[in-house]
Amino acid sequence: MAKSSEKLKDFKKIPGARWRNDQPILMPGIRRFQFFTNVGDRATTINLNRLAMFSIATFLTVDVGKAIVNRIPQSIYCYECRACYGTQDKCPVGISYQAELVVAARVTDYSRFLRNGGLRCIRCGSCQSFCVQYLNLPRIFGTMQILTMKALRNGKIPKKMMQDAFDQGLVNRDFIDEVSSFLKAEDA
Amino acid sequence: MIILGYITLTIFLVTMVLTLFKKINLPVQTVLVLVSLVCLAIGFIFRWYNDGWTSALLLPNEMIGGIILHPITALLAGLFLAGALTATGGFDALKVLIDKLQKTPLGLAGTLVIIIELPVIASLPCGRIIAAALLPLLFAFGYEGGMGLLTRTQLVVLIGAFTRNAMGSCGPSPIGGVGQIGEGFLGAFFPTASDGILRSPQAFSLMIGTAITALFLKIISSKLYPNDVTLRDKPAGSVIDTGITKKSLSAPFRGYLSLIIFVASLLFAIFQPFGKMPVQTMLVLGGILIIVFCKASIQDLMNGIILLPVTAMASGFLAAGVLAATGGFSALGVILKSLAVVKILGVAGMLAIFVQMQTILPLSCSRILTAALVPVLYLFGPAEFNLLTWPQLAIVMAAYIINATTSCGPSPLGGGGTMGEGQMRAESGFIKGAYTFTSMAIMAPIAAIYMKFMNFSIFLPGHPEFGQNMAMVGVYVVIIIGLSIGMMTYVSRLITNDTKRNWQFQFAYFLISGGIAGGVLALAVYEFQLLQLFQGFVGGVIAAFLIGYMVPKTLSITRRTA
Repeated sequence: MAKSSEKLKDFKKIPGARWRNDQPILMPGIRRFQFFTNVGDRATTINLNRLAMFSIATFLTVDVGKAIVNRIPQSIYCYECRACYGTQDKCPVGISYQAELVVAARVTDYSRFLRNGGLRCIRCGSCQSFCVQYLNLPRIFGTMQILTMKALRNGKIPKKMMQDAFDQGLVNRDFIDEVSSFLKAEDA
Repeated sequence: MIILGYITLTIFLVTMVLTLFKKINLPVQTVLVLVSLVCLAIGFIFRWYNDGWTSALLLPNEMIGGIILHPITALLAGLFLAGALTATGGFDALKVLIDKLQKTPLGLAGTLVIIIELPVIASLPCGRIIAAALLPLLFAFGYEGGMGLLTRTQLVVLIGAFTRNAMGSCGPSPIGGVGQIGEGFLGAFFPTASDGILRSPQAFSLMIGTAITALFLKIISSKLYPNDVTLRDKPAGSVIDTGITKKSLSAPFRGYLSLIIFVASLLFAIFQPFGKMPVQTMLVLGGILIIVFCKASIQDLMNGIILLPVTAMASGFLAAGVLAATGGFSALGVILKSLAVVKILGVAGMLAIFVQMQTILPLSCSRILTAALVPVLYLFGPAEFNLLTWPQLAIVMAAYIINATTSCGPSPLGGGGTMGEGQMRAESGFIKGAYTFTSMAIMAPIAAIYMKFMNFSIFLPGHPEFGQNMAMVGVYVVIIIGLSIGMMTYVSRLITNDTKRNWQFQFAYFLISGGIAGGVLALAVYEFQLLQLFQGFVGGVIAAFLIGYMVPKTLSITRRTA
């Protein structure tokens, strides 16, 4: 106890901060110590915290906004509970991670979409009944397939990413000709 | 890319541990966002160097993909409704009902037990929804809350146990609970896994864990931190006698109405009688009905919103997103797999550490790490590394998921447990020992045992010995609880005024219990194989060391300011 008291004395008192002894004795309903709001525990600069809060708000807005702008608003409702993984053998093209495709569609993450076989999907809807929200998964995947192909045409997808998907057989017959032409053109 | 993964993983782990130890005195959101931005910048440079601009420019999208919107919006909706209930006198109505209920043969004790178990009964996708709504009610049971039915210690135990139950109830939730992440993966082998293969092991172990938490708070925490709860008992000779309390218990009509709307929206959200719809929709609809029929204002509803857990979760998801995008979790998988090569640990020891991973590093929402680590665990099974068979994977998954879903309870980084600490007017960290102990030593092994002996009878054809298995579960649970309570009582007797010595006893208690938990897990996975049992015990001790070491010795004395 004595050592701790000496330790406490070494701290430089921050203007406006209250020491333990300065505190009101007991006030019902009021916490005496609040880690996140206590003056002594605050960051050296409040701008850092402002930056953090601004970043969080921005990222959340972008996350929701992208889904709306890209006309995949249903993807916002995904619980990401992964119940759709139960589709297993009922997926005729063997897609294992449907939730990954939904998230990829929400944020237009082409890499995640291609890696998990998004361009392989034939939009049969077998996975839809496994979704606890009964989201229209074929529609979500279909829209993202269109966006992916559009991005491919606009040169927004690196060749290596598409090449990997192509080599692993993750592109279905609807898109294979265009993908193949793209890869050939890149090689040339 | 694997080097990039190691770099970002190291940055994340170091900063998180420093924050948990309060060496970095910044709010968790700030730390997590800064970590995310730094890792993003490093990842960007790596990607640009290796794959070019086009690939690097896609990295922010991959990071944002880490944000899981559901718990954030579910929590906001729950808090929104709780605010409406508070403003319209719904809690006053609930107080009256509870007062009536405790006069039935159920009594006060029976009523309290039902309240404590309400979160797991409701099983909402985020425990904070029900905790935000009901914690103020629990506070009302004490002297300062007005009802004066419970003493200070009883109130601490009640709030602590309730919060424990709430911060774990997201696991067994059938409407987007964390457990469904594991169930989705287990569906690869168990045809009906998505019907809820992990639900009953979690609910069962959570109920037992809640009871042990109550005991731990009563027997150990209140002795270790005797002056760190500022709740007051009713002073001797107080004028607030029972008669006055009875008179003050009344509620307006709109309070009852708002309570009915609240309960109805919860029931509709859980049972979904009108078809599948997001839980958020029902909760917000309930809020709107309260505005219309109970004359609550939008301001009242907004008052209920607590931004800290929301922003903490969002920033955690961002950090997890950038780690996933830069290969941080792949690096973690490689590290864990390499642990299995160490002879003293083996696969059993590595798994004993793995299942405790989220209690070792408790973040504000279990989904932050679960979404990333469950795929790693899945790869340990027949899908990739073949370290486990499918039934063994299911057992480990059960232990891991309950440990993970309860990890937001002890998290000092804006975890759900801080809601309980605030409500019991305790220092941050007061409940950490009790919560981490039950997650580690009680819930994880019981979930594993339950999965092994009970669930395979239902989910795996050819395991019909239901009655016999039920007896086995009973025996194991009694042994685990008996050992735990026995040691807890012994440690409690050793507690004196010497803070350091007390902590050392508790630490030793953690190590032994952790070892036993690891051993039980190995037993459930490998049955009676001595080497694996020993390895599991060693792994459990290592995990317990990391968990127990972070339980604070003292609380208020460590403050720099008052």
